Amino acid sequence: MSCGNPTVETDALMPRKKKYDKTNECVRCKTSLGNIVIRHAVYCKECFFPLVTFKFRRALEPFVNAKPDGPRRTALKPKGNLLVGFSGGLGSTVLLDLVYRCYVSMDKSTMPAEGGKQHPRHERVWKKVSVCYVEVCDIFPGMKDRTPEVAQLVAQHDGLEFIPLRIQDAFDSSWWARAHSSPGRIDLGVDLTNEELFLNSVPSSTSSTPLESLRTFLASLPTATAMSSTINSLIRLLLLHTALDTGSSHLVLGSSLTSLAVSLISGVSQGRGFNVKEEMQEEWFPDRAPEPSSQREKRTGKGERSVRVIRPLRDVGRKECAAWAWWSGLRVLGRETWPWPGLKQDIGTLTKNFIFGLEKDYPSTVSTIVRTCTKVAPKGEASGICVLCARPIQAGIQEWKSRISIRSRSPGDAIDEKTPVGPSLASHLCYACHTTLTSTSSRPAPPFDATVTKSSLVALPVWVPPQFSEKEELFRTQKMGQEKMRNVVQDFLLDE
Amino acid sequence: MPPRNCALCHEARAILKRPKTGQQICRDCFFWVFETEVHNTITEAGLFKPGDRVAIGASGGKDSTVLAHVMKTLNDRYQYGLELFLLSIDEGITGYRDDSLETVKRNQQQYDMPLKILSYDELYGWTMDAIVSQVGKRNNCTFCGVFRRQALDRGASALHVDHIVTGHNADDIAETVLMNIMRGDIARLGRCTMICTQGEDTIKRSKPFKYAYEKEIVMYAYFKKLDYFSTECIYSPDAYRGHARAFLKDLEAARPSAIIDIIHSGEAFEVKEEIRATQKQQQTCKRCGYMSSNDLCKACTLLEGLERGIANAAITDRARKKLDAEGPAPENLRTIPFYQPSSTPNPALPVTIEGAHN
Repeated sequence: MSCGNPTVETDALMPRKKKYDKTNECVRCKTSLGNIVIRHAVYCKECFFPLVTFKFRRALEPFVNAKPDGPRRTALKPKGNLLVGFSGGLGSTVLLDLVYRCYVSMDKSTMPAEGGKQHPRHERVWKKVSVCYVEVCDIFPGMKDRTPEVAQLVAQHDGLEFIPLRIQDAFDSSWWARAHSSPGRIDLGVDLTNEELFLNSVPSSTSSTPLESLRTFLASLPTATAMSSTINSLIRLLLLHTALDTGSSHLVLGSSLTSLAVSLISGVSQGRGFNVKEEMQEEWFPDRAPEPSSQREKRTGKGERSVRVIRPLRDVGRKECAAWAWWSGLRVLGRETWPWPGLKQDIGTLTKNFIFGLEKDYPSTVSTIVRTCTKVAPKGEASGICVLCARPIQAGIQEWKSRISIRSRSPGDAIDEKTPVGPSLASHLCYACHTTLTSTSSRPAPPFDATVTKSSLVALPVWVPPQFSEKEELFRTQKMGQEKMRNVVQDFLLDE
Repeated sequence: MPPRNCALCHEARAILKRPKTGQQICRDCFFWVFETEVHNTITEAGLFKPGDRVAIGASGGKDSTVLAHVMKTLNDRYQYGLELFLLSIDEGITGYRDDSLETVKRNQQQYDMPLKILSYDELYGWTMDAIVSQVGKRNNCTFCGVFRRQALDRGASALHVDHIVTGHNADDIAETVLMNIMRGDIARLGRCTMICTQGEDTIKRSKPFKYAYEKEIVMYAYFKKLDYFSTECIYSPDAYRGHARAFLKDLEAARPSAIIDIIHSGEAFEVKEEIRATQKQQQTCKRCGYMSSNDLCKACTLLEGLERGIANAAITDRARKKLDAEGPAPENLRTIPFYQPSSTPNPALPVTIEGAHN
């Protein structure tokens, strides 16, 4: 039997598998020795940069003009400005660098040589480019506030505006008033103890600060997954509203191919199958009333406000991002891990660990996931827009849920007699948001702060109440129908 | 803690926590809710019509044992008017099926249902033991999966049934949705969440347990005192599926609704029209008459590879080319009997129903 001594027996060592397929020369220039292997293909450092820039432009530029017109860049004329969502992580650091080089400092090395100096690509595309960072440190006690570091990093880039936000702005009526020039309200609450999610007004006597409202909302969520996905959703909505506020027609996010694959699988695992398309790219129309999708498509008018969310690094893997940052000498702040044991039970974190592990053994997995998801479309009609996450709601989901998982033996049984029956939030939520607020686990989320207590009635984020005041059936017709009618016809009424 | 009342009937004492909803309920309500959900699944999809002859794919494992019991119960309770059969496939794995086939035979007696057992050996001339001795453990699941599907259809055809029901549960379907996304199998992704699949010439095949959690199936068997054999296949090395299964279990532990949420996701999207147009049209195998996307069906290609000593012919392109380079198949090649999906008896496959009504 072999003693396995590699110095004596050459066979004792496992033959090392080559990292590349045929040659170690760059597949692009075919002259230099390669410096990086990207899914079995070898690239030298000089060819790597144009490759990533090309992928970046290819994922972004066809969608800059209001009407997507293919991969040309003869005349890029966006409707508004550009907002960069910045998290401090690797992807968004690379994204910021690319956006700055390509569209702010107009770095010649990022542009193709052909076309001459007069080529339209040498003109600035967006008049104003802003960078928005949402700080979440106030949720978790003892977490470091990184806003000053991010501000410093953004300040190194001339011509960028920095917009620092805090996650509790989602519950701050004054933030809403600043961003929308209309008064904000956080007077609408929801009862998270009942699956119908009955709405009720939050008593004005309970004057909580935005941070207190946020922390009570998070503490009252049933699972760790719910808390984590709610934080991500709040950040997304804050960015969207900021884009609107800054007159931005485009919001770019730094999701790499790898992180996009993670968010797609995580979304599917949380019931977001209907929104797979939006997870990759979406356009948000803030002024549209929730209505069936077929009618929505027809109404794309010229003056209508919209924000197009694009992930320009969707074809660039985590490894390529790391190489870009390393060779460009970028400072990556990194996203601080939340000091919270609940992350172990979070579907997002579990998915991330799973995909990262799978990527090592099966390197093509992430691109396969993303490619597969580009080939599917939502099935059936949308019945509206989710008031929490602003994504389309699939029609008939509540009936589906009650048929698949019976929760009562007779209709109406689920309603507790003591609970005042008011309007319900359930029918205004997408499947995933409803699941987030109602799905429980035998292992409830560990508290992120022992001082925060759960509440049966929690205030909803600041963008939810305005949507309900527009929904006549919920409030106006019920509470002020007569009065409203009287106001309309007042001028025609004779004194009694 | 004081004993809690059942969240459904509010009367009896709760004795279990439902894995699917987390509700604490009593035993009777559990039976009621489990059976009613399966009934809802069946009626919503309009799976059966009175007089249908339905074969239950019975492996002797938990899913099919509970399925046979529930199908019998619902057929009696709601007067579906179905004629039920048991159909078992013997893959020919020493020690794997022996005990579970005994369970199936006992079910046959208990429920008074005719039983048909069809073996790979009988149909293809190869047992899984013989296949593994030639191909090794790697890829052997490809053979078993392809052969089982066709064997079930052929067994059903021999029984002249209209419909096969299988015990695929919600966990299986959620796992398949994830797998198909991760390996880019767009055709299967489109159909894996369908409750009923039927090609032009094939027998209907449905999954009434599509929304039933694996844990609840075990719970049902436990409280109904149904016995079954839980045997891990000794040849099962499918590492990729193993990863997906472990991941799904983690998700379920984090939030039990994850299984149903994944199925919901799978049902909420469909393959884009332009992609569907590029997919291969279904045809029939020129050699055995079974449905196929190529001239030869997968089972015939696998069998030809086995017979000609190039077992990977249907798995890798390289092996396929090697097989083609060696010329056409010899005339005396062992083949699968020609498939006749009509209701006329298949002469190549005599109907021998084991111990029916004895």
